[in-house]
Amino acid sequence: MERLQNQNSNASTSSSITGPVWPTIDGALGLTEEEEALTYARRFYKFGFCLLPWLWAVNCFYFWPVLLHSSSFPRIRPYVVGSAIGFVIFTTVLSAWALTFAIGGESLFGSAWDDLVMYNVAEKLGLVGWT
Amino acid sequence: MAQNSRPTSLLDSLGEEIIRIVTPVSICMFLVVVLVSVLNEDSSNSASVSSIATIAYNESSSDSDWDKFIGALWNSLAFVGIVIVATFILVLLFYFRCTKLLKIYLGFSAFVVLGFLGGEVALFLITDYSFPIDCITFVVILLNFSVVGVIAVFMSKMAIFVTQGYLVVIGMLVAYWFTLLPEWTTWVLLVAMALYDLAAVLLPIGPLRILVELAISRDEEIPALVYEARPVTQNNSSNATGVARRRVWRETSAVNSDSIEDQNSGALDSDSVGNNQNGENLVSAEEGRHQERISELTAPLIEQRLNYHRQMQEEDSSGGGFPIERIGLGSSGAIKLGLGDFIFYSVLVGRAAMYDFMAVYACYLAIVAGLGVTLILLVLYQKALPALPVSIFLENAFYVLGRKFRSNLDFGIKTPNRKLLQEVEFFKPDMDGGIP
Repeated sequence: MERLQNQNSNASTSSSITGPVWPTIDGALGLTEEEEALTYARRFYKFGFCLLPWLWAVNCFYFWPVLLHSSSFPRIRPYVVGSAIGFVIFTTVLSAWALTFAIGGESLFGSAWDDLVMYNVAEKLGLVGWT
Repeated sequence: MAQNSRPTSLLDSLGEEIIRIVTPVSICMFLVVVLVSVLNEDSSNSASVSSIATIAYNESSSDSDWDKFIGALWNSLAFVGIVIVATFILVLLFYFRCTKLLKIYLGFSAFVVLGFLGGEVALFLITDYSFPIDCITFVVILLNFSVVGVIAVFMSKMAIFVTQGYLVVIGMLVAYWFTLLPEWTTWVLLVAMALYDLAAVLLPIGPLRILVELAISRDEEIPALVYEARPVTQNNSSNATGVARRRVWRETSAVNSDSIEDQNSGALDSDSVGNNQNGENLVSAEEGRHQERISELTAPLIEQRLNYHRQMQEEDSSGGGFPIERIGLGSSGAIKLGLGDFIFYSVLVGRAAMYDFMAVYACYLAIVAGLGVTLILLVLYQKALPALPVSIFLENAFYVLGRKFRSNLDFGIKTPNRKLLQEVEFFKPDMDGGIP
């Protein structure tokens, strides 16, 4: 019951005005304690730095209500926003590189393209050679 | 806190729950069919994977039918033997409370499935379609995918959708690998696994039954790859207070209202009453490859398969209820289906997809029918039930019928009949093999 009071401390009426009751997208089935949610958000945020932008994306997805309602859960929000920003930056960089590689092709990279492209690497390492 | 709530109708909640379990099974099967059709267009049918499942006999297309059958039988016996040994090891580990070890092992196997099998499938797709992706991007994406998958499935709580998605993907990948086995081995293996399932869950000496009873007596959860459908919530707010769903296993082998009353009175303060026995079966899925590469990559992959059980959540007071009534009465149960069941359902459908799409439809209907029957039996018997036998037997029957009678059915759909294709290719080199 105390978490309801925490979250509804700004107003006294229904949750649609104060913000979401549950920090996670699963609602009542997900994380319900704010402390626990904070721990999870922080942990996902920190682990995402190990080259895991997808983890950041999942973090944002999981705490989507936090992201959507800008005034709720002030302690969780920095981590989720950080994850969102991190994911966007990483994806931009990665897709820029991938698109350059794919579109530029050999004309841009020269012989290095053949060395880097995945199907050649796979053949060289014999990963798909068995069928 | 104690509310006696009724769902709008028993049919509504049951129907919703059935849909929530049939949908992921269907998605898994659909994905396997797609993979099989996309990836097997170029490769020949005779390429077979050497693996644990073909340890006894490697089929070649020149053997006679009877030889193939006997060889397949030996393969299946070997495979089931390995599974039995692995399950007993699991029981031992669970008995000695090495749950940490179990979790680590399961996490590792999930990582291997997602990373290696997923990577291999992705590589197949890339090489077949010459997708110009570079290795750095590929490695980063694959690493992300596997690590987050392991985290989602085992290590921490995550969005239900993400977890369910990853479980379906794991099932799909392993099922795709199983479809690469030689044909007869696949059929006989499926039947053998169904029989083993039946025996292991229902017989008193079966390892799964022992595991179930251990779990019940200790009130613990067996770490396993299990797909858990989202529980159907009622309209009232009784679920809003549900926090930690402590599962209390209810022994229902002696179904009498006394024992149920006893356990329920103890569980009134917790939010849930579990009505199930866990059945668990270790399925060792092979990851083996071509002979030259066995040393690198054949780490036998053990996955756990939890057989059918149903977990009930009851926030209402447990009045003296007839058990069947209680399932529908104000309870939001979550149906659990083991991942091995996903895999074996999809294997046959994937196999069928190599020949004829009509057989695919027939098998799909058979599986769904089998699942429905198993659910009904679950409601009737209230025990952990093996989810395989009914579906597999129906499926096999439908597949055989589907293949026998395909030539008589003409729906105006071109089905990629492989032998026919090879003949026609000669005349029409530009014909696509597929449904237009």
